[in-house]
Amino acid sequence: MDQNRQGARASYVALAIFVALWVLLPSAVRRLNREAFAEFQAPALHLLGKSRDMATFWEKKSRSTEEMAAAGRDLARINAALEIKLNAMDDVRRENVRLREITRYVVPAEYMSVVARVATRDSSSWWQRIVIRKGRNDGIRPGAPVVFGNNVVGRVTAVHLTTSEVDLVTSPGFRCTAYLEGDEQNRIALVNGVAANSLGTAKSRVSVIPHDYTPPAGQPARVFTTGMGGVFPSRLLLGYLDGGTYSTPVGNFKESLLIPSRDLYNLQEVSVLVPLHQNPGEALMQGDQFQ
Amino acid sequence: MKEPNDMRVLPSTPVGRLRLYGVFAFFLAGFLYVAGGLAYRQLVQAGDLKEQSDTQSQRVVLRPPARGRIYDRNGFALVDSRARWSVKADLAALQKEFRSEYLRLIAAEKARDAVQIDRERLMEVARVRVLQGWLNKVWFVIDETNRSAKLSRPTSKVVPVTAPGERQISLEQLRRHLRERRALPFTLVSDLAFPGANQAQTPEEGSRSVARFIEQFPVEGPIRLESDNIRTYPYGALASHVLGYVKDTDQLPENVNDISDVRIEALQKLHYTGKTGAAGVELTYNHVLSGQTGWELWTKTSSGYNQTRLKHSEAAQGSNVILSLDYRIQQATEAGLAKIKDPQGKLLPAAAVMLDVRTGEILALASQPTFDPNRLADRVSSAYYDEVDKSGAWLNRATQGLYSPGSTFKVITAIAGMRKKVVDWDDVLECGAFFKVGNRDFPEHEPVGFGDVDVDKMLAISCNVWNYQVGLRTGIEALSAEARRFGLDSPLLNTVSDVESGGLPMTELPFAASRGLVVPDREYKLRIKAGPWNDGDTANLSIGQGYLLTTPLHMACFAASLARGETRTTPSIIHDARRDGRHQGAEPIGLSKAQLDAIHGGMVRCVEEGTARVARIPGLPYAGKTGTTEYFQKGEKAHLAWMIGYAPADNPVVAFAVLVEGQLDTNTWGGKTAGPVAKEMLEAWAATADSSSQPKPKADPAR
Repeated sequence: MDQNRQGARASYVALAIFVALWVLLPSAVRRLNREAFAEFQAPALHLLGKSRDMATFWEKKSRSTEEMAAAGRDLARINAALEIKLNAMDDVRRENVRLREITRYVVPAEYMSVVARVATRDSSSWWQRIVIRKGRNDGIRPGAPVVFGNNVVGRVTAVHLTTSEVDLVTSPGFRCTAYLEGDEQNRIALVNGVAANSLGTAKSRVSVIPHDYTPPAGQPARVFTTGMGGVFPSRLLLGYLDGGTYSTPVGNFKESLLIPSRDLYNLQEVSVLVPLHQNPGEALMQGDQFQ
Repeated sequence: MKEPNDMRVLPSTPVGRLRLYGVFAFFLAGFLYVAGGLAYRQLVQAGDLKEQSDTQSQRVVLRPPARGRIYDRNGFALVDSRARWSVKADLAALQKEFRSEYLRLIAAEKARDAVQIDRERLMEVARVRVLQGWLNKVWFVIDETNRSAKLSRPTSKVVPVTAPGERQISLEQLRRHLRERRALPFTLVSDLAFPGANQAQTPEEGSRSVARFIEQFPVEGPIRLESDNIRTYPYGALASHVLGYVKDTDQLPENVNDISDVRIEALQKLHYTGKTGAAGVELTYNHVLSGQTGWELWTKTSSGYNQTRLKHSEAAQGSNVILSLDYRIQQATEAGLAKIKDPQGKLLPAAAVMLDVRTGEILALASQPTFDPNRLADRVSSAYYDEVDKSGAWLNRATQGLYSPGSTFKVITAIAGMRKKVVDWDDVLECGAFFKVGNRDFPEHEPVGFGDVDVDKMLAISCNVWNYQVGLRTGIEALSAEARRFGLDSPLLNTVSDVESGGLPMTELPFAASRGLVVPDREYKLRIKAGPWNDGDTANLSIGQGYLLTTPLHMACFAASLARGETRTTPSIIHDARRDGRHQGAEPIGLSKAQLDAIHGGMVRCVEEGTARVARIPGLPYAGKTGTTEYFQKGEKAHLAWMIGYAPADNPVVAFAVLVEGQLDTNTWGGKTAGPVAKEMLEAWAATADSSSQPKPKADPAR
């Protein structure tokens, strides 16, 4: 009996000592510990992502020949359609090159694109953060925009050696400026994620919409990046206005919910646009490490 | 081991028992005292104590509402609100940083063996340093020109000021905030797009600064981005005398939204800074534009910071006001006035008004020099205030400027003469080079005179001698009565009923002239102790000079009344499509058709071949009358240039008046100086009347 009591007391004492040590530890040691845990966790995340890829591979492999033939036909049609678009694009590209030559305009290569597979979604904020299988070793830096095609997925918030965490457009930690389709004056609105209730759907909100803005009739208005903030390239698609705009009770502005441009739940692969030159915001995201 | 019956619970002796009962009684009394006190406080004093507790632990934060917009008659926003993005620091969230910095400063003081440490001051310095560190970070992100600055550490030195804007936090600034607005976040940059009211920054550059902060500054943390409204005047100085401007107010508003269930009178209120109209429509229709103030009820921490929001009510935006102005005519009017300069290139003081003849709605009202209300919308620099003050731009010359109408008054002399039957439309008077009144020769403006002159010719050539003769025959009583009948000395009131104007209450025009108007007569001259009235005074009055004082708006109303064949026009600055064209106090002029035709014909000839021929518009015949009158400036004579009229000649739709204050060294004449402005106004009106050129408004005012 006494031994049990002594054992319990020792456990409590050990816990108290551990807590006290954790509280008193220098922040650098704690940060190192956190980093170490992320690196320790990384192989498991890699394995998880790869096993999901493997499962998808075998699931596709088990399809019948008829299904594969039908998929091949569909693919051929899509390819044909894309080829026509590609030809049209060639004309536009040639015209673009011609105009640049006339104006002697030098296009800066501002971003390096790093393609990354999605390893997992952070269980603590489902829908709003993903982990990708590329990290510092691949040149990814915090703050870099993450896209899929021409669609904004989110933004890198933390970078580890071989993995990176990405805040999705629906994350409360995501914020960027936007142009609204149909606004001829190109006034900037604000897009930011909204904290979801438990079991609720994560959302994004577009606010500070000018009072006299009217969405184009017949289709949801598209919301684009402005390219003015130095993080996102311009004219990337953030999403669509959800049905309309609503006046806020105060202010001459309106707001609306944003339907993200990609189905964030089904993302398998994304591109990270790493800026070739560090912007000051990156330094702030890394803490007080800049001058 | 003792037996139970040996246990002595109570003392066996009476003295012992007495002592014990005494102790019991003492504790019982104490308990009853405490319980009674508790009951008294809980049951009797509960209300008062709760109020005291609330007063000490809660506060009301008032939220000023957005003001309504002001549109022109076509739906163009003349006054709007733009997004103002400000960067604020949450002081409660910075407590740890303040403390760390404070301890660092204390350690530094101890290290240098300071004899006496002023801890209170060190705490203030610590706060300023921490905030300055964050402000440096903000500038580091948004300002590309300042990238080389050393930043980040709260203890770092202050960034040198390299561009206009709010870059340094002073001790006094922080003290004021903690004294007056402790519960609110501390403002680091009040307007990201135009920091430090830097008007030199283009809107595009401003948007870039805002975007850079939004995308690059961390979302989490003690630094917040807030957006609110700031009054903006998209067309700058256009119609600034009509629109007015806003100013800060510390007065608690009366119209606080739905606050009956919160006893705010008992609570500490946050220092309130809202906006209120300071001049023009912004002032007169302030009650319509200002909306309802919202509020939030907060508990506060022992340090005085906000803790939990208990209740709130959103502010409600003010209603919109639709003015009768047409911004295109207004632009043309101001552009026309801006061409009138003295030989040194300085703008001459001037005013111009255009009215809708039928309704009296003001289509354009301009006064020169002017001011930019954008520069008065937030903090007004003393330099700009002095600049406006020195230029005389605060005065709305169209409505507050008091001038002799000069020869434009000859129309009234003619009407008075014909109504008194001392002259008729076809009577011809001999008009020489001068006319003798008493011992004095009153001159004609043409050295050889005009010979035979009738009403029609008199108006075309602006003959003085005809008016001296008719004025003396009519007499001062009839002459001044006629001027009063046209309301030249009556304050102009906006008498649109609140129902007809869409809920706007009946009120004065935001700039009505109500003092100093003079239509002189015998009593007036005696009242000002200038001696008895004489014929010379009547002769002077007959050509619109002497003691007569009125405003350009009054003369425009007179022109509109004349165009309708009536005596009064009620001008309005509020647009209402349902106006029926009735005017308060209006009656027919009381002349025959032939007499009215003679006046009308003379005014048309004035434009076609007379004194206003410089302002002739091919394809748009209209009626006009010029005037050039003398006034004294710094003891020397200078000229006022006038032109009034209405257009088109056959079916008048608009009436106008233009006035220019000539200077000592300028050559200023009615037709030559004021005429071109009238021409530009009418051409602009003609262009807007062509429906094919109507631009689409950017906003629907009804929304």
